[in-house]
Amino acid sequence: MPGRDLVSLSEGEYEVLKRMAERGFRKGSLEEASRLLGLPPATLASIFELLASKGLVKVETREKRAYRLTERGARELEGFLPEEEAIRILSERGGSAPLEDLDAIMGSERLAAAIRFLKGRGLAEVREEGDRKILALRVPVERALMEAGRARRVLESIAKGEDPRDEEELRDLLRRGLVRKEDHREKWIAATADPASVLKVAVVSVSKLTADMIASGAWRRASLKPYNVEAEPPRIYPAMLHFLQEFIEELRDIMREMGFREVQGPLVELELFNFDLLFQAQDHPAREVHDTLRPDLPPADLAGGLEELASRAKSVHERGWANVKYEWRSEVAARRVLRSQMTSVSARILSGVALGGQPRPPIRFFSLGRVFRRESIDSRHLPEFHQLDGIEGWEGYTFRDLLGTLAEIGERLGLRLIFKPAYFPFTEPSVEGYARLPNGSLMELFGAGLFRPEVLEMAGIDYPVGAWGMGVERLAAAYYGVSDIRELYERDVTKLRERRVKV
Amino acid sequence: MPVIKVKLDRLSQLVETVSTEDLIDLLFRLKVEAEVVQDKEEGLDYVEMEVNPDRPDMFVGEGVARAVRGLIGAELGYKRPPVIESDVRVVAERVPQRPYIAVAVVNNVNVDDDFMRELIQFQEKLDETLGRRRRRVAIGLHDYDKVAELAEGEVVVRYANRPVEEVSFEPLPIEREGGGRIESGGEVRASELLAMVAREASPEYKAYASLALRDGEHPFLLVGDKIISMPPLINSAYTKVEPGTSHVLVDVTGTDPIAVHKVLDIIVSNLAERPGAIVGSVRVSAPGQEEVHPRLETVSMDLAVAEVERVLGVRLEADEVESLLLRARYQAEALKAELIEVEVPPFRVDVLGTVDLIEDIAMMYGYDKLEPRYAPPPGIRGSISLETRLARKVRVLSIGLGFTEVLQLVLTDPDTLEALGVAGEAVRVANAKQREYSILRPTLAATLLRVLAASQHAEKPVKVFEVGEVVRFTGDGVEEDLRLGLAILDVEVGFEDVQAPLYALLRALGVGFSVRAFKSPMFLEGRAAVLSIGWVGDFAWLGEVNPRALEDLGIRYPVALAEVSLRRLAEAMAGERGGS
Repeated sequence: MPGRDLVSLSEGEYEVLKRMAERGFRKGSLEEASRLLGLPPATLASIFELLASKGLVKVETREKRAYRLTERGARELEGFLPEEEAIRILSERGGSAPLEDLDAIMGSERLAAAIRFLKGRGLAEVREEGDRKILALRVPVERALMEAGRARRVLESIAKGEDPRDEEELRDLLRRGLVRKEDHREKWIAATADPASVLKVAVVSVSKLTADMIASGAWRRASLKPYNVEAEPPRIYPAMLHFLQEFIEELRDIMREMGFREVQGPLVELELFNFDLLFQAQDHPAREVHDTLRPDLPPADLAGGLEELASRAKSVHERGWANVKYEWRSEVAARRVLRSQMTSVSARILSGVALGGQPRPPIRFFSLGRVFRRESIDSRHLPEFHQLDGIEGWEGYTFRDLLGTLAEIGERLGLRLIFKPAYFPFTEPSVEGYARLPNGSLMELFGAGLFRPEVLEMAGIDYPVGAWGMGVERLAAAYYGVSDIRELYERDVTKLRERRVKV
Repeated sequence: MPVIKVKLDRLSQLVETVSTEDLIDLLFRLKVEAEVVQDKEEGLDYVEMEVNPDRPDMFVGEGVARAVRGLIGAELGYKRPPVIESDVRVVAERVPQRPYIAVAVVNNVNVDDDFMRELIQFQEKLDETLGRRRRRVAIGLHDYDKVAELAEGEVVVRYANRPVEEVSFEPLPIEREGGGRIESGGEVRASELLAMVAREASPEYKAYASLALRDGEHPFLLVGDKIISMPPLINSAYTKVEPGTSHVLVDVTGTDPIAVHKVLDIIVSNLAERPGAIVGSVRVSAPGQEEVHPRLETVSMDLAVAEVERVLGVRLEADEVESLLLRARYQAEALKAELIEVEVPPFRVDVLGTVDLIEDIAMMYGYDKLEPRYAPPPGIRGSISLETRLARKVRVLSIGLGFTEVLQLVLTDPDTLEALGVAGEAVRVANAKQREYSILRPTLAATLLRVLAASQHAEKPVKVFEVGEVVRFTGDGVEEDLRLGLAILDVEVGFEDVQAPLYALLRALGVGFSVRAFKSPMFLEGRAAVLSIGWVGDFAWLGEVNPRALEDLGIRYPVALAEVSLRRLAEAMAGERGGS
């Protein structure tokens, strides 16, 4: 069909045309089409309507006269028709038989029907012989059977759903009540264009590209229906990493990139590492019950390898703190606390407990983990939060080097630091690093300092060591614009799912 | 951190010629975080200052001003205040429970309303810090003239134990529990006072009352037969310091001799800053010992200029160091080019060694002028621990399996653990502030289920994971672990729903393991399993959560859950690596 425009077909339309071409269907009733094309009539009907609207077929509704066997007709077809039975009996008896006998064999109704048929067609006659009436063939048996066979053939073709051709016989059968007339409408389909030619210019429009289409190459004829791309899709949520944990991992990466090695330590800690080795006097207010959380556990045994550390702690502590002497007790150092500062891990590192030996300079270590405080939860406080602690030291290390490291970390976090003198029991000089936040306020970022000589002496370190600690949650809250610190530990997954990712 | 309030007018006057803005900035450089606040009732401005606990000499306006004047160079160094002999003598008997006493008089303190309030504040802050809530040291302030009146002639103050049943006096008002004050309204027997305190006083005062009572006896300070103090509980009203008091007698009693005389030094040094003040010394005769207070002794230290450079990384000349030390209110003299002789004032209890001097030098020099230097030695390599690396991989795999990460506290709620039947293996916190956070989770199931309880209205399925620590009590110790927890809540959910992702994750990590059925109150019987690796043992648990537990936790949907010990997994992987 040269010059013909492309025809857009649905998948169903395409399939029907394809089968029409393959199986040679050009016109016929819907039922015929269904039989030939192997598709249910209901499906075909709607597809032919669509093809008709594209001018590819014509669909007409025709009144159609159809014939069906009546119940009796069907029954007689199974066995013998009355005339057949009568002819058979007559032939067995030499061409004639008394009506009495026939009546006894066939019943009067069937006999009447047989006589009406045979007489009407001139095949037999009723005669009187003596006082009896007999039925006698007037033609040879074969001729009679052939005439009777006409009716049977008509019945058989109706049973098969074909149109009977023997109009005369049909009329008779209708009269006899073996066949009834049934008028109905039927769809009549006729191709108005050659299906094979149409297929050559067809484009199939589909809603989804399928693997079958790609495998069969059908995609070449496929036209994907355009979507309304402005419509909202269904809302789904990505599985997400937790933003605070991501922030923590970024801090770890910064530390690693700067050359710090990660070390971990226990949450349930000895006072020895949490306080004593950090030169916090045993009667210092910070060690009292209202600041530090204490697990309900018996004290540890320092005898398991910590005696030497304990004895060094004792001698340094008893030399005097704040000019006040007191008796240092190992029972106090053996008590357990939930670590209140990550510096406890630094104490483990320096004293050689964490790494199975004392580190040799130059050293750079960090630890990032949870610490505990005796606080009630509110928008600014948590009883548990993360701290990042670092230590570094080498021969010739000074306070300026510590400030340099803090400034470098600040820079990697995108923050400029302001340094201010500070007090921590275990460092001297001590410093606090403040950062100017985008909203203009100052936030304390680092507590830091050089470890006091007393701390180094207890740990057994003979080179200068700088240390710093940083609270993670407050910085993370500022970074993510979270005003209530409890949001960092949100339990409602919907809030986590809807969080915006920060790049 | 001790917070003290000083009237802005008063502090400005003490400091002289400094604007408020400059004042705040100067305080910042002295480790004092300060802000101006307005008292709504009076309509007057106060400076509220967070002072470091190691600087008790700055718990009063005079001490703050001394430091600020040094920083700006208005006044340098330290000179011992003039001391004369007073006419007060102390006789100390044996008081075994609080053996030490030191007393001094400061003349011309001239107490007014403002200073009165600050004196009380000064005493409170000393109590809290150096005094260790009066356990170690207690302070009594008296109007010297009133003491002298009681004595009629030579003033002899006796420090002695007396039976509380036998002595009476009129105490100053005592803080009442829940606010207000207990007024005795006249003389009261000491034993009755103690009973009254036990009944009605604030917790602090109840604690003070229990510190020194031994066998019905309590220490007292007496002039003649009049009680002027019942340390460490309360002073008497007879010798009360009030606005208009000219001369102040200070007594310090306690359990530690150095703390007692140091606290006296700190108080006297600050009272001596009042214009025209003169310190009067007091002789204390104890059994077998005579002492004169206040000592006001300085401590001598030699500071090598090279040490300053070694610590700070800045080269300073000897005369610079000397002048910085003077500004920090030390007495200092550069003896040679390389050595400074330093006298540490008696009130500087925080100075233990030369490193403390160096910090003060840095403060006077200005932290802002100390240039940060970033030049780490080459060849130090950074690294992340194996556990962290494993946690990172596992977190990414969990995301890939469609689980969203949650982060929860290790501290949790005992009821949740009860519901799961795991409270027995958990470590409790003895002094938690909130019951909801009073026990350490022994399993991530605890916090994951609380998350699911709060998330059951969310679109299903709800799939969450957490990587975090758990702490378990093992009977003879504590076992800490880093674990991965996976949990799924849905309208319908089964063992396989969590088993499949868990196996996928372990396959991705290349972990081989064996499986067997697991029984636990947390899981439905027959629908739970435990995984183990030969040389490491059990390392992962999974199953359908028991609906009884779900009901207890208010969860109306089925939940399947898995937990993996990352510590044991890391062990297994390290072992495998070592073996191959």
